[in-house]
Amino acid sequence: MITYIIRRLLAAVVLLFIVSAAVFAIFYLVPRLVGATPETLATRYVGRAATPETVNLIAHKLGFYDPIWVQYGRWVKGIFFGAEYDYGSGTEHCPAPCFGYSFITRQPVWPDLLDRLPVTLSLAVGAAVLWVFFGVSTGVVSALRRGSLLDRTAMGVSLAGVSLPIFFTGLVGLLVFSYKLGWTAPGGSYTPFTENPADWFYALLLPWIVLAFQFSAQYARLTRAGMLETLGEDYIRTARAKGLPERSVNVQHGLRAALTPLLTIFGLDFGLLLGGAVLTEQVFSLPGLGKYAVDAITNNDLPKVLGVTMMAAAFVVVANLIVDLLYAVVDPRVRIS
Amino acid sequence: MVVGPGTVSDQAPVAPDPAEGSVPGKAIEGRSLGRIAWTRLKRDKVAMAGGYVVVFLILVAVFAPLIVKFLGDPPNEFHQNLIDVNTLAPKGGTGISGDHLFGVEPQNGRDIFSRVVYGARISLLIAFLATGLSVVIGATLGVVAGFFGGWVDALISRAMDVFLAFPLLVFSIALAGVIPDTAFGLSGDALRIAMLIFIIGFFSWPYIGRIVRGQTLSLREREFVDAARSLGARGPYIIFKELLPNLVAPILIYATLLIPTNILFEAALSFLGVGVRPPTASWGGMLSDAARFYTIWHFMFFPGMAIFITVLAFNLFGDGLRDALDPKGRR
Amino acid sequence: MIQRTRVLVAATAALALGLTAACGGGKDDSSSGSSSKAEFNAALDKVFNPSEKKGGTIRLANSGDWDTLDPGETYYGYSWDFLRLYGRSLLTFKASPGAAGNELTPDLAEGLGETNDNGKTWTYKIRKGVKFEDGTEVKAADVKYAVLRSIDKETFPNGPAYFEQFLNLPAGYKGPYKSKDVNTDQAISTPDDSTIVFHLKQAFGGFDYMAALPQTVPVPQAKDTGAKYKEHVISTGPYMFDQNNLGKNFTLKRNPNWDQATDPFRKALPDSFEVSLNVNADDIDNRLLSGDLDIDVVGTGVQPATLGRVVGDPTAKAGTDNASQSRLWYTSIVGTVKPLDNLDCRKAIQYAADRTGYQTAYGGPLAGGDIATTVLPPTIPGYQKFDLYPAGPDNTGDLTKAKEALAACGQPNGFSTNIAYRAERPKEKATAESLQQSLARVGIKLTLKPFPQGDYFSQYAGNPPYVKANNLGLTVNGWGADWNDGFGFLSQIVDSRVIRETGGSSNTSVRDPEIDKMLDAAVSNTDVKAREAQWGAIDKKVMEDAFILPGVYSKALLIRPKKLTNVYVNPAYAMYDYVALGVA
Repeated sequence: MITYIIRRLLAAVVLLFIVSAAVFAIFYLVPRLVGATPETLATRYVGRAATPETVNLIAHKLGFYDPIWVQYGRWVKGIFFGAEYDYGSGTEHCPAPCFGYSFITRQPVWPDLLDRLPVTLSLAVGAAVLWVFFGVSTGVVSALRRGSLLDRTAMGVSLAGVSLPIFFTGLVGLLVFSYKLGWTAPGGSYTPFTENPADWFYALLLPWIVLAFQFSAQYARLTRAGMLETLGEDYIRTARAKGLPERSVNVQHGLRAALTPLLTIFGLDFGLLLGGAVLTEQVFSLPGLGKYAVDAITNNDLPKVLGVTMMAAAFVVVANLIVDLLYAVVDPRVRIS
Repeated sequence: MVVGPGTVSDQAPVAPDPAEGSVPGKAIEGRSLGRIAWTRLKRDKVAMAGGYVVVFLILVAVFAPLIVKFLGDPPNEFHQNLIDVNTLAPKGGTGISGDHLFGVEPQNGRDIFSRVVYGARISLLIAFLATGLSVVIGATLGVVAGFFGGWVDALISRAMDVFLAFPLLVFSIALAGVIPDTAFGLSGDALRIAMLIFIIGFFSWPYIGRIVRGQTLSLREREFVDAARSLGARGPYIIFKELLPNLVAPILIYATLLIPTNILFEAALSFLGVGVRPPTASWGGMLSDAARFYTIWHFMFFPGMAIFITVLAFNLFGDGLRDALDPKGRR
Repeated sequence: MIQRTRVLVAATAALALGLTAACGGGKDDSSSGSSSKAEFNAALDKVFNPSEKKGGTIRLANSGDWDTLDPGETYYGYSWDFLRLYGRSLLTFKASPGAAGNELTPDLAEGLGETNDNGKTWTYKIRKGVKFEDGTEVKAADVKYAVLRSIDKETFPNGPAYFEQFLNLPAGYKGPYKSKDVNTDQAISTPDDSTIVFHLKQAFGGFDYMAALPQTVPVPQAKDTGAKYKEHVISTGPYMFDQNNLGKNFTLKRNPNWDQATDPFRKALPDSFEVSLNVNADDIDNRLLSGDLDIDVVGTGVQPATLGRVVGDPTAKAGTDNASQSRLWYTSIVGTVKPLDNLDCRKAIQYAADRTGYQTAYGGPLAGGDIATTVLPPTIPGYQKFDLYPAGPDNTGDLTKAKEALAACGQPNGFSTNIAYRAERPKEKATAESLQQSLARVGIKLTLKPFPQGDYFSQYAGNPPYVKANNLGLTVNGWGADWNDGFGFLSQIVDSRVIRETGGSSNTSVRDPEIDKMLDAAVSNTDVKAREAQWGAIDKKVMEDAFILPGVYSKALLIRPKKLTNVYVNPAYAMYDYVALGVA
């Protein structure tokens, strides 16, 4: 078990390196290939009054004259050992994990990420609660009453749900519920939970519902399919034959077996969401990691992009790891492999 | 249980479980698998309806110029005489009329009907070709991994893990953002479309790859493969003559179910501003424009419904196809 | 959704002088009036809701991040307006509506600059009794230090660069952080604690405008923390920083060491200011309309979605002001790209362009601005009204004249070229699409080429070899000056000598040696009236050359704060004067 965890953790670290190297390459290699020079890169980060000397200074300060592997090495070193940052009248030590300083605001990236995380976390957790509850219960009821009007309606709505992009349902939601009816908060009005829980709830209600609608639809379909499959298995028939009450058969045997594979999917979905619900945050202008990523890309702010991609990838990896460990608890067979 | 491609990070529609390990079709009395499946599919009215809509949409995309000639105006043509210059909104709210079936855009006054029709071209073209690309990559690597096993399998499986853990949407925008205007001998829309096909196709292959690998793993151990092997057949022969024919059905099913995912992926990229360049119409791009005018309902409604109907039709048809080709999953 | 439209001010922190009222919408230029009647443009050239009542909190929001609160680096008009609450530069613009708001007035200094060698050295006397928030008295050395530190462009790359350009600095001087212990008296000397003397390399008659830059706001060397100084700027104004969460919000509270007696114009009515950053732009509009928020601090006007609600509703419209911004949105016609090297081909574009379409692309007459026919906006002294290429009665273009010009150019059936614009800017996109439509009417086919705005001037539209190699015949552009006058407005966009082959120039098309000569003649002219006439002549010459297709003299539709007093648009900043406001 311990070696299993260690092996998985090592694999995760390798994965993070691959992701960071790929992001680095996109930002430095692709522009180089089409003729960008250190100076043209640096011009993005100076004001309109900048002279060529200023551009040179900044290109130098940002390390653009160094070969790309040196720049990458410096970035990696910062994560493990921290880095020194020259702010003019002195230098500041940026402690590990130092994801560098924004090219635009010249603020360290790591505190930014920690700052944005609660927003995405609030969005993801709230939506997950809703979608797991509604998705699974709809799926179970549908499976138990297969072919009924209820089942067919639920599955119809679910199919529509997985076919609607969030940037359409979100916009319509804003138009109808926020603008026309005034029931929910308009886009972009996020308040931290610690400041005012009521405002926090009000601002996130519509994003939660919109995001959860999509996932509920998926989970309802998956739960239903899983339930139907397990209810047809021999051991369920055996349980019924033993005379166990129908309720106990369905819940203890059927649901449990049907939910186990759902756990994997939930782990991945939730991990991906924590790394930034890009579209939802964009539609509702929520200042989470996803919007941070899009803004950083728009501004060519490489340290921010690297930081947020790392964080996102780390969440997926960790979520998968947790799921795998949970699996080992739920399903003893996994431990052997 | 197979997880969807995870392409559109926070809203990837996950295809229903593929019922892994089932081998489709036990040919009875000379009726081919295809014929049986077709009979089943024909009986599934919902799937057929989806199929008809898909065919209709393809026709719309192909004959877009003709349709627009009779029912609309050129998609990029301005009609600013229909716009209230002070509010930028179409005069009378939407501008819906006999000439403009879906109304006109605020500010520019372009015909929304024509833009939705032309948007179908971009959407379907990219979705089909990207799916083709992921099928090619996914099937090849999946078969190779499943058939050869060992370190080859380990390597390819890890690669698939990497792709699944990637913050794909962020990564795709970053990549699309740095691609210049002219590259690889292409420019303008052609380059953007090629780039979108590459990004979407390249990031979706593990979805097909995993299924093919799983199927190959189970097929490899089956009697007919053993028989072929004992008769002296070699790797390539087994792959092409014994494995691939049995893989056609699952590949077809999941390719069909991947198309709607890719449509959503393309729309998401366009919505985030890295799709085809204006003024070329795309549904995601139209929604992105509509977001600036979020109080004007018809601007977001028609492109949004176009995405919805298209994705729904493909999902319905794909579900039906799976049920038809995979009797075990039908019940 | 993607509210990048606000960020567009990045390249155009505009300081306007001149008459706002000259630009339509205004009534007259009487600057003394006041009013309490809520009507359209009620706060445009008179004070709305005058009051002396103290107390209360003003709530502001910014849809983006503040560029920086550091007076040495900030380069946005709204920031310069707001900065006067916590910093005092040597001079500043009068806190007044109408024409008077354009005039310079002493702030930290006792009077305007004095020169006795025709503008090569400038002397300012610093007011006695002005204190930092910690109670230490402001000395001339603090102003000198503030100016010198702003020269360090490695630490402050985004700030204005006028001082290093004009001051007689020692060779290789890099600012006080890197060039420690270097004697800089040859550039700025402080004979005593209340006298500061600027020594220039060459005579510059308009130095007072530089003395009004926020870079002259004093900074105590002991408290300076370089790039981190923005985390806590030491105040000299009536307010000081209370909380400051960079990128999120900050609050200002009263500065106990500010003395009304030392300040000629600040009333300091409210007790505090609350500023939220990175707020959704549509949300800002909604809250302004509902009264939950007082001011959109950036002052660039309402979002497109809000426009319809405000303009369509007479009550809502009565609560807005339509301010002119001394900024021109235009499209460069690049003479190095064939066939636009031919004057007649350029004229064909002038005639064929649909000016109403251009205006609509920018948001129509209220949110966009007035149709432009010249390079100088009407708010800049020297502006002359003329139209060399009349575009027909409805301003949608003169196709007959355009075809004649095409024939004269030897391209009777039109030609093909490309149009560049900044991908992040919906208005520029709409402009490019509009021109594509209108020019197609005479056979001029445009292909749209969006580029990332961060690299727009350095790598693409402002990079002459790239422009030529990629046939960027048209480049969508815009300009606003740091301070008024023809020099500030014209020199960066019509002087061919500012064009760098390595890219980065704002002038992307105007190459005419004669215009360069005219500029030199005007700069050295000491007669203000004659000089202004010369700016007008240069404007006309640029239009005759047809290198610039003017689009829109920019205007913004501002939502007037409902609960505030002393509201008026200060023409120097083209937005509400944040120093005068009080809470009702």
